[in-house]
Amino acid sequence: MEETPRRRRSIFDIIDEYFESLEAWAERFSEALLEKPSWNCRTCTIEPLRDILVTSDEVIVTVDLPGAEESTIQIKPVGKDTIEISAKMRRKVSFDDFGITHYRGEFQKFHCRTRIPVPVYMDRMEVRFKRGLLEVRLPRKHEYEIPVE
Amino acid sequence: MKDEVRIIERKDIPKGAIMLFGFPDVGLVGVIAASHLIQELGLEEVAYMDSPLLPPIIVLHEGLPHSPVRIFGNHNILLAVSETALPAELIYPVMHTLIDWGRSKGVKMMVSISGIPVPDRQDLEELKVFAAASNMETLKMAQEKGVEILREGYMVGPQAVMLQYCATLGLPALTLLAQCFFQYPDPEAAAKALEQLGSVAGIKVDVSKLLEKGEEIRLKARDMMKRTQQELAKMRKTQEYDIPLYIT
Repeated sequence: MEETPRRRRSIFDIIDEYFESLEAWAERFSEALLEKPSWNCRTCTIEPLRDILVTSDEVIVTVDLPGAEESTIQIKPVGKDTIEISAKMRRKVSFDDFGITHYRGEFQKFHCRTRIPVPVYMDRMEVRFKRGLLEVRLPRKHEYEIPVE
Repeated sequence: MKDEVRIIERKDIPKGAIMLFGFPDVGLVGVIAASHLIQELGLEEVAYMDSPLLPPIIVLHEGLPHSPVRIFGNHNILLAVSETALPAELIYPVMHTLIDWGRSKGVKMMVSISGIPVPDRQDLEELKVFAAASNMETLKMAQEKGVEILREGYMVGPQAVMLQYCATLGLPALTLLAQCFFQYPDPEAAAKALEQLGSVAGIKVDVSKLLEKGEEIRLKARDMMKRTQQELAKMRKTQEYDIPLYIT
């Protein structure tokens, strides 16, 4: 029987593996670092779920605000790359409502800050609120273009 | 790995039941639907999963410990549900063990309830439910009951493993996928999936409470959705949006 030659790993395989393990470690570390409760008893706020989509011409931020009073929604730019969103709830929610008895506290507001990953025109923001979901559209700022020859 | 997952039975298990699956996935459709079924049908915990592979988590109910993966049931339904997002690497051993167990109980059909994410979900007034099956007979049955077939595309997650494994074993299995949000809990989609479950499996429940309590459910489900999103990213769930290159 012919013996299969043992495949030697190239230096590139070893480097790839090293970076993969480093990436996995960084991911675990950043996840652990970002872990925090989604509520804050001191400020009586709940952090809503949110998502960011970057398209070729705009950034779309969606925020799930179930039970929010539409007229109280506030979206404030903070610097050039962050927006702060808050909204009052139509009724207060307590830990009791979630069946939790080992914490005490009431929540009456949603609050979150979201970093916008690319430059945008904050002053040309478009907003809509439908079925408890807030959608913020920000046109992208293309600061320069590279000509294609 | 499968040998390290076991099902502990707490009550007598009915033979020839329909086995349902509600696992954390897009829009938490399966879990929300499962929770509603348990409440509406008064299903009791009949078995639970025990494994050193599962994360070191218990769920406390009234001060007593419970496995995050449990099976509820009555005389003709078994419902497997997970209260925690399953790590991607556990989906195979968990699903295979559940299916093997269901098979040993003579389950007549397996149905997983889940969602299919659509980018314009916010603007959809009427949600569709699609189906895919483990064999042609089950697919035809679903089609005859008015469910649209998910003809081509990728499926990622517990329901994908369920369909493939049931196809290998020759078991009738169906996946119901309601159009839903990718990253937000979607009780409306769960209600839609349950309506279709009524027509394909004869398990009928009133979904009005689910719709009435929609906002409350969305608020309660935030943390589970967040954890699920992290696992969905690891299992490359967005591949379901991909356009496949078909090899016939």
